[in-house]
Amino acid sequence: MSEGSASGVPHLPGMEVRPVERNVYEVQIGPSHPGSGHMRIIVELDGDVMVRVDPDIGFVHRTMEKLAEGRGWIKNIPLFERMAILDACNTTLPYVEAVEKLLDIEPPERAKYLRALLCEINRIASHLYGIGIFAVFLGHSTIYMWAFGDREVFVQLAEDLTGARLTHSYPVFGGVRRDIPDDFPQNARKAVRYMRYRLDEYAKIYLNNPNIRKRLEGVGVISKTKAAELGIVGPNARASGIKYDVRLVEPYEAYPELDFEIPVFEEGDSLARAWQRVEEIKQSLNIIEQAVDWLEKHPREGFMHDKFWKTAPKLYKDVYEGNIPYAGKYRVKLMPLFATLKVPPGKAAARVEAGRGEIFYYVESDGKEVPYRVRVITPSFRNVIAFKYVMPGHRLMDLPAIYGSFDYFPPEWDR
Amino acid sequence: MGGGVREVPATAEELQKSLLEALKDYKPQVEPVKGYIDIVVPVEHLVEAAVKLKELGFDHVISVGAVDYIAKKQFKVMYHVTSYLNEDLSKFMVSLSTYISRDNPHCPSLTRVWLSAELQERETYEMFGITFDGHPDLRLLLLTPVVAALKPLRKDFVVKEESDNIETDYEAFESSKWW
Amino acid sequence: MDMVTAAKVFSDIGWGLFHYIIFYPPVYQFIIIPGLVAALVVVVFMIWFERKAAARVQMRYGPLEISPRTGGAPQLIADLIRYTVQELIIPSAADFFAFIVAPNAMLILSLLPMVAVPMTSISEYWPIPMGYSLLIAVALSTLAPIFTVVMAWASNNKFSVLGGVRESFIIVAYELIAVISLLSVVPLLHTFNLVDIVNYQMSGIWLGLLNPIALLDLFIAILMSTSGFPFEIPDSETELVAGPFTEYSGLIYGINMGGGYIRRWAFSVLMTLVFLGGWAPYRPGPGILLGYFVPSLIVVVKATIVMAIMSFLRAVYGRYRLDQALSLAWEVLIPLAFAAFGISVAEAFFGVHP
Repeated sequence: MSEGSASGVPHLPGMEVRPVERNVYEVQIGPSHPGSGHMRIIVELDGDVMVRVDPDIGFVHRTMEKLAEGRGWIKNIPLFERMAILDACNTTLPYVEAVEKLLDIEPPERAKYLRALLCEINRIASHLYGIGIFAVFLGHSTIYMWAFGDREVFVQLAEDLTGARLTHSYPVFGGVRRDIPDDFPQNARKAVRYMRYRLDEYAKIYLNNPNIRKRLEGVGVISKTKAAELGIVGPNARASGIKYDVRLVEPYEAYPELDFEIPVFEEGDSLARAWQRVEEIKQSLNIIEQAVDWLEKHPREGFMHDKFWKTAPKLYKDVYEGNIPYAGKYRVKLMPLFATLKVPPGKAAARVEAGRGEIFYYVESDGKEVPYRVRVITPSFRNVIAFKYVMPGHRLMDLPAIYGSFDYFPPEWDR
Repeated sequence: MGGGVREVPATAEELQKSLLEALKDYKPQVEPVKGYIDIVVPVEHLVEAAVKLKELGFDHVISVGAVDYIAKKQFKVMYHVTSYLNEDLSKFMVSLSTYISRDNPHCPSLTRVWLSAELQERETYEMFGITFDGHPDLRLLLLTPVVAALKPLRKDFVVKEESDNIETDYEAFESSKWW
Repeated sequence: MDMVTAAKVFSDIGWGLFHYIIFYPPVYQFIIIPGLVAALVVVVFMIWFERKAAARVQMRYGPLEISPRTGGAPQLIADLIRYTVQELIIPSAADFFAFIVAPNAMLILSLLPMVAVPMTSISEYWPIPMGYSLLIAVALSTLAPIFTVVMAWASNNKFSVLGGVRESFIIVAYELIAVISLLSVVPLLHTFNLVDIVNYQMSGIWLGLLNPIALLDLFIAILMSTSGFPFEIPDSETELVAGPFTEYSGLIYGINMGGGYIRRWAFSVLMTLVFLGGWAPYRPGPGILLGYFVPSLIVVVKATIVMAIMSFLRAVYGRYRLDQALSLAWEVLIPLAFAAFGISVAEAFFGVHP
């Protein structure tokens, strides 16, 4: 907190005063900076070398844990989605899984594949966003434009599936909200083919570009033990040699039956982190193909658990079958039981691998219509500690090369 | 590595038994939860139990959280930990919890045991007002000092709601016009 | 009688205007070609070309909305109008005189080398007849960058100071390379006179073919020392907001951003004359049009092509780190420039002549 012993400095409420050493030049890469996003990094420089880095976060804090205690169970799903709207399905899935553990129900098989499909689409969109932002911090605007243009393909695919481009709110307790339309499998296969071709072009102009390689090789090296000590998650940890992915160690949804690999790199520098994301996109494309094949082959029965589906009025079932001509097929509204859902008392925890890492929820209920306590830890929040311990010793121009490679997302870490 | 996990635990129950065996000096208890293993120790043995867990192979903290039981006048501080480098323990989440009193809440900091807990203990400090003794750099992380003084995540902090009808005083507004 | 006198008076005024004002060499060189007017026209065209070419590589259109048929060319005019009518905000803690004077001085000094550069071989159309035009042009081109450091200091902003320090590091290294590369043709041809250098290239072999290392070095040096994205290390937007140009707004901001391109234009003209043949293979005929206007147009076209190649690199490269750029300059490019000098000496020794 603020020290009051600085001489002659007026003290206003909310003001923090701290002494600064001599011969150190303090620069604040602050919130209104074209290369920073909604955060502030207080950097103390000795010449061109950073001596101390202090992340000062909290600019986008939206008090989601407190808000969740005042809303009904189903209303919290759109709330928690806004933490990281880029991969909306991954961010709300652990909440839904934890509440399903409390309700003691399990979604049907088709719903599990549908959830896994949307998770992978969101993962690709999130990785492309990270690649684009990282490139523009290094001055390479071509990959920025390409990545965001290619991300559009997957956002439109998600719109076909769920009806919304970014704010899906797709997993609900007991299943998902809708089933896939009839022309979805061929669109998905076209998108997968297109993205595979584009990834080769990315490698040619960006990852194998000698300019970019010189900038990224050997910068921000995190060794395996240091990564385990700091608790870094996601592609950042896998690029340091730790083979840990929640889809592998504690499989959820349809992942026990899907066949994919986890790429792991040993070097742990920024270039390895950039390559890690490109390789993960390739694996996600494989998963999408397998999921779409399974969904096409198996008959459409039950995307929602019977406990909720049997309370739906007859109109919903008519619309689902396609008997109402103007209303489309396989589209239903939300089950009315959700509005007044009361979850039996208990405590549960669940974790899921989001695009940026492992996201963890702890849900506690005491039998009412609102949760008693929801604790959420997002992957970007667990990566903030790396700013403090990895950056000192590097030059000032390495600052965007390091924090861009962590794929930071301030709204996610502030919640 | 030392400790009590000799054979590879295949299910959560086996791990729970071996953990209770390893931590038996610290009077642990188990609470029924779903999805992880919850071990409660008294607050004076918290640091030693944490050191013991670290020796067993749990090397980083997923989450540091607190729950406010206002009816029982206690805070429950939970440290969910898991393992990166030990592949058999990666599948399980273990929560090391303790109960501290609600008036004058103090809890020993586990930053020296697990470095990954540093920023999350700062967040719990500002949201609940729990002071972590021994934390190297305990200051506010997300909130401003004005808001943090209200200790927002406690149950007795209720956000005042405004009604849709906002009362105004027309006479005062008219008389305040200077044009 | 009156009509004839009026027509004669008008034609006399026209002839006088033509000969003594527009095509009067000092005025023509410094203001029209390759001075202010040509520089501004080429800069406007170059900014449009850069945006369009980079956009096509990046799978998008670039400026298009404003008039789809011309490909968005009036967009630049709209931007210029916006800069002229925008409010000029001068921070109260900035050093007022230096803040205002530095960008303008930079603009004028960037164009100053054009005073010594001849555009034709006919002696009555030279601005200042001198036998050392290459040396004087190169010396005048080194005057401008100090004002970037003055701008950085006058802004009273930490990011500007960081940008100014980087600019001073980069300029010292890369301008040295440019000067040595430009002067490396002298041992081969035994003359500092630009007209003689171009006349030697009339036979068809340009000096760029005889000494390609010097051409490459000069190209890289121009790219790095004239602040164009993505080689602008002092000005890097993602680390230092805008470096020395942070606190500027309105017309002075427009001058700063265009000033980089104008310096690049001055260096491109010098590069064209020395390495790419100047107005060769056209021999200037008699008369004002054939002898003055046409050769200068040829030089303008060649210099524009050089600038277009530099603009196209925007879509391919990222930004170098400061110490990597400096180690590249001091460890690789300066030895190469000295090697180019040595190649010139060797060629003169062995009697290789264009």
